[in-house]
Amino acid sequence: MDKPSLPELSSVFFRIGNFTFGGGAATTAALQREIVERRHWYDTLQFGLCYALARVTPGTNLFAFSTASGWLLRGWWGAIAALLVVSIPSCVLVCLVTVGFDSWSRNRFFQGAIAGALAASVGALLASFWLLVRPYLNRQHMLQTVLILLGSIVLSFFAHWSPIVVLLLAGIVGFFWKERLE
Amino acid sequence: MNFLILYLLLLKATLSSFSGLAALPIVRNDFVVKRHLLTDHQLNTALVVGRSTPGPKGLYLIAVGYFAGGAPGAIAAWLAVVTPAVLVIPLLISARRKIEDPRVKRALRTIVVASAGVSLSATLPLSADALINLPLYGIAAVSLVVLVSTTWDTLWVMLGASMASLALMLSGWMPVQS
Repeated sequence: MDKPSLPELSSVFFRIGNFTFGGGAATTAALQREIVERRHWYDTLQFGLCYALARVTPGTNLFAFSTASGWLLRGWWGAIAALLVVSIPSCVLVCLVTVGFDSWSRNRFFQGAIAGALAASVGALLASFWLLVRPYLNRQHMLQTVLILLGSIVLSFFAHWSPIVVLLLAGIVGFFWKERLE
Repeated sequence: MNFLILYLLLLKATLSSFSGLAALPIVRNDFVVKRHLLTDHQLNTALVVGRSTPGPKGLYLIAVGYFAGGAPGAIAAWLAVVTPAVLVIPLLISARRKIEDPRVKRALRTIVVASAGVSLSATLPLSADALINLPLYGIAAVSLVVLVSTTWDTLWVMLGASMASLALMLSGWMPVQS
């Protein structure tokens, strides 16, 4: 694993955190691809740790994920830097767009660019889904992965259970369900 | 509007939600119904702004803070949305001590897989909202293939998608959104 310097870490969280459309899930997906797949700053298990804990922390998941990742990679300074660079510019942008909302929302160039970015964020979410699941689609974990996946989709999409309840239930199942090949 | 009260009201909303717009009923009750700091139109505008800007949708709270208290209100809202993130560190310290326990490893693995399922469920409504014509389906598909099969920087993929849709719109290949 290559641990990043503080400027490197800040640069990645700044770029991905403030330029990815489609909500926190799409942004976390882009960060996952950047940190785990491209830069190898931490492995899938460490990503899973940050991701899982961020999902069960109240508030904005992306900010909790960035703080956890920053702490894991560079300690307290990393946590503070990641949280600040991921939150301040996007919050300033929200203020600017709020002030000029009426004129922005009618601008056709703005509309055209946003439409493409939102479409790409759908692609990013699907890519993230694949990158998250792919390591566990092996002989050892296949059955558990498929059942947990189907169960979480049914409970969240069709039964409208809260994500936090679905994730806690999955954690409990994983804690007690030892697979035969393990 | 007092800065501290605004911060505490928004912090209460943030702490009561675990994703996206879950705090919306609390925000509406506190800001629109009880205290009349916002109109429903302003709350709707805040939601649209949160969806139209990069980053989490929960940042609509920044627009709520701005409407309720101007620039200081936006700063109070920023403090309210970042404060709970710090709670993840004690959780992380505690979980790291137990990460070698096979049961904890299994629990983490199943949470990650379930998160993928939950995210996929959230992708479906987003897709319906974002993919409203054939060229946008094409852009999403190309983005997916590029992101899975190459190591290109995600930011460039997003910018490329924006430029492509803008070019398609200006050349008349894609309808203008209303």
